[in-house]
Amino acid sequence: MLEKIKNNFNTQTWVLIPIAIAINIAVGQIVLLLKLPVFLDSIGTVLVAVLCGPWAGALTGALSNVIWGIAIDPGALPWWPVAAMIGYMAGRMAQWGFFKSWWKVVVTGFVVALTAAIVSTPIAVYLFGGITASGSSFITAYLLQTGTGIWQAVVSTSFLTEPVDKITTAMLAFAIIQGLPKRTIGGYPKAEQATVEGGASKNQLYIAVGVVVVLVLFAAFMLRNILGG
Amino acid sequence: MAFINLQNVTYKYPLTKTPVLQNINLQVNEGEFVAVIGPNGAGKSTLCYALAGFVPHFFKGEISGTIEVDGVESSKSTLDEWVLNVGLAFQNPFNQISGAKYTVFEEIAFGLENNGVPREEIRPRVEEAMKMTDISNLADRSPYSLSGGQQQRVALTSILVMKPKLLVLDEPTSQMDPIGTREVFGVVRRMAEGGMTVVMVEHKMEWIANFADRVIALKDGQILLEGKPNEVLTSDVLAENGFGISRYTSTAREAKKRGLWKKENLPVTLDEAVEGFKLG
Amino acid sequence: MHERLSFYVKRNSVIHDLNPLTKVILTLALILIAFTSPWYWTPHLLVLVAIIPLSFIGKVAPEFFRTAIRIILPAAGFLFLMQAFFQPVGDTVIFKFYFLDVTQESLMFAFRNATRVIVMVSAFTFMLLTTHPSELMSDLTRRGLPGQFAYVIISTLQILPQMQAKAQTIISAQRSRGLDTESSFLKRMGSLSPLIGPLVFGSLAEVEERAIAIEARGFTSKKVKTSLHEIPDHSSDKIIRWGLVILVILSIALNLWPS
Ligand SMILES: Nc1ncnc2c1ncn2[C@@H]1O[C@H](COP(=O)(O)OP(=O)(O)O)[C@@H](O)[C@H]1O
Ligand SMILES: [Mg+2]
Repeated sequence: MLEKIKNNFNTQTWVLIPIAIAINIAVGQIVLLLKLPVFLDSIGTVLVAVLCGPWAGALTGALSNVIWGIAIDPGALPWWPVAAMIGYMAGRMAQWGFFKSWWKVVVTGFVVALTAAIVSTPIAVYLFGGITASGSSFITAYLLQTGTGIWQAVVSTSFLTEPVDKITTAMLAFAIIQGLPKRTIGGYPKAEQATVEGGASKNQLYIAVGVVVVLVLFAAFMLRNILGG
Repeated sequence: MAFINLQNVTYKYPLTKTPVLQNINLQVNEGEFVAVIGPNGAGKSTLCYALAGFVPHFFKGEISGTIEVDGVESSKSTLDEWVLNVGLAFQNPFNQISGAKYTVFEEIAFGLENNGVPREEIRPRVEEAMKMTDISNLADRSPYSLSGGQQQRVALTSILVMKPKLLVLDEPTSQMDPIGTREVFGVVRRMAEGGMTVVMVEHKMEWIANFADRVIALKDGQILLEGKPNEVLTSDVLAENGFGISRYTSTAREAKKRGLWKKENLPVTLDEAVEGFKLG
Repeated sequence: MHERLSFYVKRNSVIHDLNPLTKVILTLALILIAFTSPWYWTPHLLVLVAIIPLSFIGKVAPEFFRTAIRIILPAAGFLFLMQAFFQPVGDTVIFKFYFLDVTQESLMFAFRNATRVIVMVSAFTFMLLTTHPSELMSDLTRRGLPGQFAYVIISTLQILPQMQAKAQTIISAQRSRGLDTESSFLKRMGSLSPLIGPLVFGSLAEVEERAIAIEARGFTSKKVKTSLHEIPDHSSDKIIRWGLVILVILSIALNLWPS
């Protein structure tokens, strides 16, 4: 176990983590500025998870969250286990070979989203009674007012909002890794997980983008149904 | 026996086909100052990494031949041990700042802390090293707030404080303005005069002519020429092989063809050129 | 975006003289008690009788209140409103707002939660204002935390502002080339990669060289690391730490007590 954790960390990992945290935060802020309906504040976490392994990913996520909480938005602080779990799961998926082509990356994004939804639910319920300071709590609130149980309301909200964000994040991280020269990747502990399969073609990218668009439309549709009906 | 001894060193990075170093044989005596020149991609940085232990301990790949410094063979040592004897500084001063420290003083102490030097020794050693490189006045500044030349001197000091026996410098002045260059060369000269063995990759021919005991010209991973600075730097072979040459050398070479340069040897520095043209 | 990432204010106070670990434990204890104490008013009381007075004792009150007003209160206030309106607990309706019932219970609930967040963030803020990050990390390293953690934390604190400045430059450059943050959704989505690309690739390219630079200075050395600074740890520190631990255990025990 300890050995498995240790092999995630070489000097390049330690140098990469602060950069990844800064990427998380800087990109997160750019996205806020562009008023996009996603967060994309875990691109750096996913990069570390894929290049170095799940434990390095988890550490990056947790630290990002704490620093974001202290420096930018205090409301983010209690959510560090979610960020850690995102890094861990992304690393695990990469280990299982799910970071080698566009469609696999979409699957990774989806699994990471489900994990995030599951981990965030107890935090939302126990610490905040379901209603957090996040915008998506409007949906939860509505569900609660219509008599839905608290767990169900929180989970439904996460399932609506998380996949789009996490799939986009995973795809951006994949694009970044593809854009890096091979020798830049070579020095990380899990470089082989990040070598792209032959089939990572343009067509696959279009399909992947299509999946995201469908998910966005689906979420929008569900939202209209919930809020409209 | 020679202080540095490279025997038939051939090295290939992972993922590449052709070796970057081919059959390098190199002997350097203790206290010698050797300059390495060569066009882009010649393998100069790789040679530095090989001397400093990073090839093969950091960069994997295939290596053959032996690298020996001070009687110890690199492949039989570890990088942690190796860096205690061989210091490495390189081009980009910004990337050499650890990032783990808030002041120049702490930055310089970083290597000593990592290597478990007792606290009572750290402070005097850092102070002494800063005096040597003339940066005592920067002690409390943030390493990020400094000029390029100052940062490079901090990087050098951070290495020198560890008291290496061999100093390997990979184009430490290539991103410096003339003032920064002068500052950095000032430090290197003092080290060399103090008896430290120095291997330095450098493009500024006039500086090399003034400082180096010997020049090695590297091309395509092989040693093309080796010898006294003036012989190597003014050799026709360099000009034919796409090396950068001093403008005084090329001017005088042209002049010689037209009979305007009377001396046998070509100049490298301005002073030599002025002197030679006076004869004519 | 954001300015410096160093909260530390150099002052001469008993708090500054405390061992960094004592302040970490104090922070964690305040948070744990605020979240576990079964008594409703505990978080409020902690702010009034512990955190605010401590900021005066530590001579950092002006900075503390500035941070509180700028970031802590807005966040807590927003959480309070969200919960007061949307939390469907209780039936003592105070007023109606469209379809939302604001009840006395939801107000109470919201007030406590918001105050808990205030405790959490202000305790952190207080610690950061009075503790130099490198002292904290040296002390923790001395106590056995792997030295790489000190590297990661301090390096992040120094890189983040640089990265934010870079992001700011890139955004301004893109704006002058016609980036419109008010344009259509797809356009904004499309403008993402020219913004993120330069930010990410430049810094990833540096990693190898920076790793070499620190390994050249013994970053991976197996020797026991020493520290330039000596960080005092008095017996009073130890007493305070144990006292805090006992208080936390008490609070948790009371919480779990079957009532
Ligand atoms: N990490 C690496 N992986 C693969 N090839 C490399 C690596 N570093 C350098 N090279 C290649 O090795 C050759 C020599 O590089 P280098 O030693 O940096 O030359 P120089 O310093 O003389 O410009 C170049 O062709 C370069 O592309
Ligand atoms: Mg080079």
